[in-house]
Amino acid sequence: MGTAAHGAHGRHMIDHLIEKYGEDRKIDLGSQVNVEAPIIRTVMGLKPENLGDLRKAIEYVEREMIHLVSSTHMGQEGNYRDFESKAFHAGMLDHVALEAADIAQIVGYGLPTSVADTPLVDLGWGAIDRTKPTIVVVGHNAVTANAIIDYLQKHNLYDQVEVGGLCCTAHDVTRYASGAKVIGPLSRQRFFLKAGLADVVVTDEQCVVTDIPQMAREAGAAMIACSDKICYGLENASAREADDILREVLEKQKQYLILDPEKAAEVIVRAALALAPNRSVKKQLLNQTEASVLAGKCPGTCEACNRACPNLLPVSSGVNQARQGNFAKLGEVFLRCHGCAKCEEACVHQIPILRIMQAAATWDTYKMRSGRGPIHDVEIRKVGSPIVLGTIPGVVLFAGCSNFPGDIDDVAWLAEELARRKYIVTLSGCAAMAAAMRKDADGKTIYEKYTPEFDAGCIVNVGSCVANAHVVGAAIKIANIFATLPNRANFELMSDYILNRVGACGVVWGPYSQKALAIGTGAVRWGIPVVLGPHGSKYRRLFMSKKEMGDWTVIDGRTKQRVDTGEPTPEHMMLVTETKERALVTIIKQCFRRNDTPPGRAIKLNSYISAYKQVIGALPDDLQNFVRTEKEIPIVYKREVLAYLKEVGWQPKPVLSLPTIIGTYETKVPIEATIK
Amino acid sequence: MTTELMTLPYYKVNVLTGTKAAKVVALPGEAAKIIEKAKNPLYIFGPEVIDSPVGDRLLIDYALEIAKSRNIPICATAHVKRKMLELGVRPDSTYDIIEIIHFLKDKEWAGVRGKGYHDLVLFTGVRCDLAERGLATLKHFAPHLKTFAICRRSHPNADFAVPVLVKREKWQEYLSELVSALGTTE
Repeated sequence: MGTAAHGAHGRHMIDHLIEKYGEDRKIDLGSQVNVEAPIIRTVMGLKPENLGDLRKAIEYVEREMIHLVSSTHMGQEGNYRDFESKAFHAGMLDHVALEAADIAQIVGYGLPTSVADTPLVDLGWGAIDRTKPTIVVVGHNAVTANAIIDYLQKHNLYDQVEVGGLCCTAHDVTRYASGAKVIGPLSRQRFFLKAGLADVVVTDEQCVVTDIPQMAREAGAAMIACSDKICYGLENASAREADDILREVLEKQKQYLILDPEKAAEVIVRAALALAPNRSVKKQLLNQTEASVLAGKCPGTCEACNRACPNLLPVSSGVNQARQGNFAKLGEVFLRCHGCAKCEEACVHQIPILRIMQAAATWDTYKMRSGRGPIHDVEIRKVGSPIVLGTIPGVVLFAGCSNFPGDIDDVAWLAEELARRKYIVTLSGCAAMAAAMRKDADGKTIYEKYTPEFDAGCIVNVGSCVANAHVVGAAIKIANIFATLPNRANFELMSDYILNRVGACGVVWGPYSQKALAIGTGAVRWGIPVVLGPHGSKYRRLFMSKKEMGDWTVIDGRTKQRVDTGEPTPEHMMLVTETKERALVTIIKQCFRRNDTPPGRAIKLNSYISAYKQVIGALPDDLQNFVRTEKEIPIVYKREVLAYLKEVGWQPKPVLSLPTIIGTYETKVPIEATIK
Repeated sequence: MTTELMTLPYYKVNVLTGTKAAKVVALPGEAAKIIEKAKNPLYIFGPEVIDSPVGDRLLIDYALEIAKSRNIPICATAHVKRKMLELGVRPDSTYDIIEIIHFLKDKEWAGVRGKGYHDLVLFTGVRCDLAERGLATLKHFAPHLKTFAICRRSHPNADFAVPVLVKREKWQEYLSELVSALGTTE
């Protein structure tokens, strides 16, 4: 389902751009990116040169998807391993679709590429200037959002109208126009729309909550749907005149589906300009006195709201204390709230809990670096060696949604803990937004504090969910550019290289969409382990080992001999952790690779031990699994670690320079192919 | 309150959540007997034990007393170990919740003290949605063991569960009586 969502997104985007520019429009990602589509090259053997070639990539995804969906029909695939194999195939196809979609929009809309230092953009609902007409675009397909920007610029209205985005459209529209604002991730959609700050609400596709037409109506805002994926039962007005549509929007508050982006843009902007002067009262936020009155009916005893909360929050205490004028508790609840409004639905007193949160929420603004797109070939040349040797301890990608188990800024905490330990930290989608929602004592977010270049200790926002492709692409480029292994139609070799030699880890700390699962499943197929937050257990799919009790045999590429390494690296390919503290040490551990040199392993062990001591208060209990020789023990912990290893009867393990699992199973790929 | 079974539906088909529900153990004395009967129990501590107040103590204080009463090995998940070390107790295992569930499915696994599979697994302080997934896994894939959710919000997928105790005083009362009962049943 997630692959279908990304694939359909790519198909729509590419068809639209081909209609606009023709299929011969060249792919040019700038002077820093020569290997433009590592995933498509590797999976399909195709070097895409123009938009027409990207359409071929999407056609490949579509063709495969028919067979995959067919296999789920009754009576078809009945073996769990074959079913998982098909799921992995779908995950890999997802990455093909991601790459095609993002390259298409970079080429079609001139989004940033070959530049790391992209603009810092405003983020947060407080960033919206309420005195201006306000358009809010929701979802993940920026075709209409970009048309709105074009219309505003063409009519010299760009500075007079606020354009804010929720979810990935926000990323893509700020890549297109840095004056646009990022309001926040999926978890803030309902909260913001109920606040009534938008004069016009625009939906496109994918991560869009289902009651947007109702919320827009209640707020007295106009609402236009722009994708055939989400029609809401609205009349399709695509063929009608803009003036005609606008009249009914303004006079009768009618909501429409408009599939022509340019026409939709005209209606949306003109509606915002017309509605805003009369909506200033509706844009007034609740103050604490008003919110206390609304909370007045709460008896504080039934806890129906608590019992309905999927994130197990103490909503009842928050509302009850707000009733008495204390909003601190409700503020804490808000930081962990997903905005599903199940609490409101469960409340027998019909208390508008999400509205009351307006008085408890911070209206602060934050700085997020806009998405930068592909990792540059020159960056890969610089970091390829230290990543493979292990002296850069790992590459971590925070992807996916905002269904966080704890505070919304936990991703920022995790990202910073890793960046200060010199990991390459990349982010995308809602996770990239949430990472901006934490400031240090100087008022700076992690995007302002760490380098945006793909290097040790960086914080890199690659962009929206489709930009996840660039991080997997970077792993492929390490094998291709740094190790000079051929990647064309060479999936098996590339994924073997990544699994055994590239210390990368994906993190989906707040999973809830099917897209996040598709991205994660695809990452696993490429050989990148994934760590999920606790809500990820609801996917009911994990890939776990029995740790040191498993079979960790590989082939030594130099001697072609089987070697039992005895070290579980990477330990699991997909697992759930319960707390951010546990996630931190798990992510670090998942970046160990059998290819690590002793100095590289020492650096990784130093990170592991320091983080473990910081959050769990002792040496890791499984240290003996990852120390191969005494040389690898970090000097600062040497005495302590040696005493521990002696206590548990540790024995040295082999150190390999060219580990591969090719040759441990039947394959047409010769072991020699793993060495260049 | 007397011991009762959670309601089972008449039909045992088309019930997607499963039909084998927990036995509600309303009396702490009965809970103590279940623990007492186990030959090789294991106690899993989730992260809520370190920040959930019960009266003027923390949940971990009660959980440790329960474990201590029968020398039950402890698996400290998440980052619970830190607090345990502060309290002067070293856990027997530090697998995270999903990892320990993964091992518990395997009857051949040696257990945290190498004495073979655990026949009773107690859960306290694991976040409820995650615990429910783990308990459902063990219900279906670990027929060699029983589970007991010592949690005031109750867990239908466990074999044994404390009833829903909304009021914290009742929860404190339950835990105190359980500790007391374990102290006298040896």
